[in-house]
Amino acid sequence: MTALLEMRDLRVTIGSTAAVRGATITVNKGETHCLVGESGCGKSISALSVMNLLPRGAKRETSALRFAGEEIGRYTERQMERLRGDRMAMIFQEPMTSLNPAYTVGSQMTEVLRRHRSTPRAQAVDRAAELLARVGITAPGLRLGQFPHQLSGGLRQRVMIAMALMCDPELLIADEPTTALDVTVQAQILRLLATLQQDLGLGILLITHDLGVVARIADRVSVMYAGEVVESAPTASLFATPEHPYTRGLLTCVPVPGKVKRDEPLGSIPGIVPRITPGFTGCGFRDRCPEAHAACTGAIPRQAVSAEHELLCTLKPGWGGKAAA
Amino acid sequence: MSAPAIELRGLRREFRVRQGMFAAPKQVIAVGDVSFEVPAGSVLGVVGESGCGKSTLARLILGLLEPTAGEVLVDGQRLSGMDRRARARLIQPVFQDPFASLNPKRRIRDIVAMPLIAQGDIGGAERDRRVAEALERVGLSREQGMRFPAQLSGGQRQRVAIARALVLRPRIVVCDEPTSALDVSVQAQILNLLAELRRDLGLTYLFISHNLAVVEHIASEVAVMYLGRIVERAGSEALFAAPRHPYTRALLASVLTPEPGLGVPDVGLGDVMPDPANIPPGCRFHPRCPVAIPRCATETPKVIADGRGLVECHLA
Repeated sequence: MTALLEMRDLRVTIGSTAAVRGATITVNKGETHCLVGESGCGKSISALSVMNLLPRGAKRETSALRFAGEEIGRYTERQMERLRGDRMAMIFQEPMTSLNPAYTVGSQMTEVLRRHRSTPRAQAVDRAAELLARVGITAPGLRLGQFPHQLSGGLRQRVMIAMALMCDPELLIADEPTTALDVTVQAQILRLLATLQQDLGLGILLITHDLGVVARIADRVSVMYAGEVVESAPTASLFATPEHPYTRGLLTCVPVPGKVKRDEPLGSIPGIVPRITPGFTGCGFRDRCPEAHAACTGAIPRQAVSAEHELLCTLKPGWGGKAAA
Repeated sequence: MSAPAIELRGLRREFRVRQGMFAAPKQVIAVGDVSFEVPAGSVLGVVGESGCGKSTLARLILGLLEPTAGEVLVDGQRLSGMDRRARARLIQPVFQDPFASLNPKRRIRDIVAMPLIAQGDIGGAERDRRVAEALERVGLSREQGMRFPAQLSGGQRQRVAIARALVLRPRIVVCDEPTSALDVSVQAQILNLLAELRRDLGLTYLFISHNLAVVEHIASEVAVMYLGRIVERAGSEALFAAPRHPYTRALLASVLTPEPGLGVPDVGLGDVMPDPANIPPGCRFHPRCPVAIPRCATETPKVIADGRGLVECHLA
């Protein structure tokens, strides 16, 4: 498979916080790669790093940042602007904050094409209507003339997706695209993303905290904790043989109907996420880890569990046998 | 047999909403003639999509909203006309967002003491003792009691909200999406804490959530709400094993369990969204129902109450 996006050894510091500490993320053509982790683990910052959309004051370093074979790490803002919204597009959690309330859906959607491709207005409108229909919106003509506040949350997210597709991107970055939606709508939006990917051969980098979403939609998963990718594997392999104690802990925390009896405690991870400052060494999870030992304060080896399954931990792969479940 | 912890009789709440400057105000029926009982010591989970009226229901039961019609009985007593202080000793809330529900300028200790201060007759050493006891119950230290909300994590803040709810030793706690703003690992901690508190203190919960997996884990009975009505109610096991209402089935189908290879399910609801200002005639669910028959569009289904529970559907 060809790598569409290859980001090696990403490091981001924001003020005195080391937000990402050496994360490597690759997305292949036509593949959905999920970044999963809890708030503050650096997953959104990693995604924003790809687009060079980090907040002011954040410093980004990578040993390689390749998009479709080309190194884009040193691109100027001008060059990045040409990529963003064109060959790589992004959708966010809360469509209301990323849509402009003062413009109609139609004018926001066509702006993308007019800007990147200088497409004539009438043609851009046709394309917008076609894509709204493509994402399952009935009466696209009506929706084009409406303002974001006139749409429901699910419709807004569909509009965001349609807008992201205006220029036929190769890479779609989706940051918690269904977290603000009802479960029923979440299922519809995820189905839509899955079909679009198959039809258009999109590479998707999807950020989520929900292991249920990961299991159902990802080809590959990277689990992030305290700014590092602690485990990365094909989806089936990660759920069948989770190796990192954090991954295992996370899996036992999720209530699954019929799995844990009522009133019996769910698994949980004691303690809270540490704040990591530059210069921190060792494993960021050691204070909460039931398996922690002396070596966890030193350098942590990156080990291969199998050809495609990587682990950042001092424990030997296979230490705990099969999945904890 | 003692009185049910919560009893609703034909509870109804309407709102008038203006849509635009010149349009006539519209009537929104947020809760439409809901009746049910919650036995003491049990947990009733209420599930439904946003806008189905579940939070309005919680506010009515807490006495924060007046019903348009019908009544709420808590521990056998009418809620309307009950003294505010007596009500606070009986029933307490825990809300979704521990960032919004705690005063950022007060120390944790003082936040938890507030209900005691409002009672007026619990002071000095007794107050301090009760605050320390409540903090300990939820797993917070004395030292953490001296801090401000901004110095605590989301999970710790939700513990504070729970301590504040427990400090008057109420019998009933209404939890409105208590874990929805939290990370999964923290959610598990809080759910375990709530389950433990219920067992140790014999509490009754009304537990509102949009997450069915969470509800299944904690509730003994589940009520499914759709556009202001309870469309199905049953024991937790029965509801999850054999859902009878098509809406319940769709909700269950949309739960994404962490099982790879199953793909994303087709919940079959179409893209018509429910609008509480525009409740369809007949069965209110029929425009989205995958198995609707012509009768559903014209005739309102009757409540079928039997040994298995309660359901409102022509096909049940």
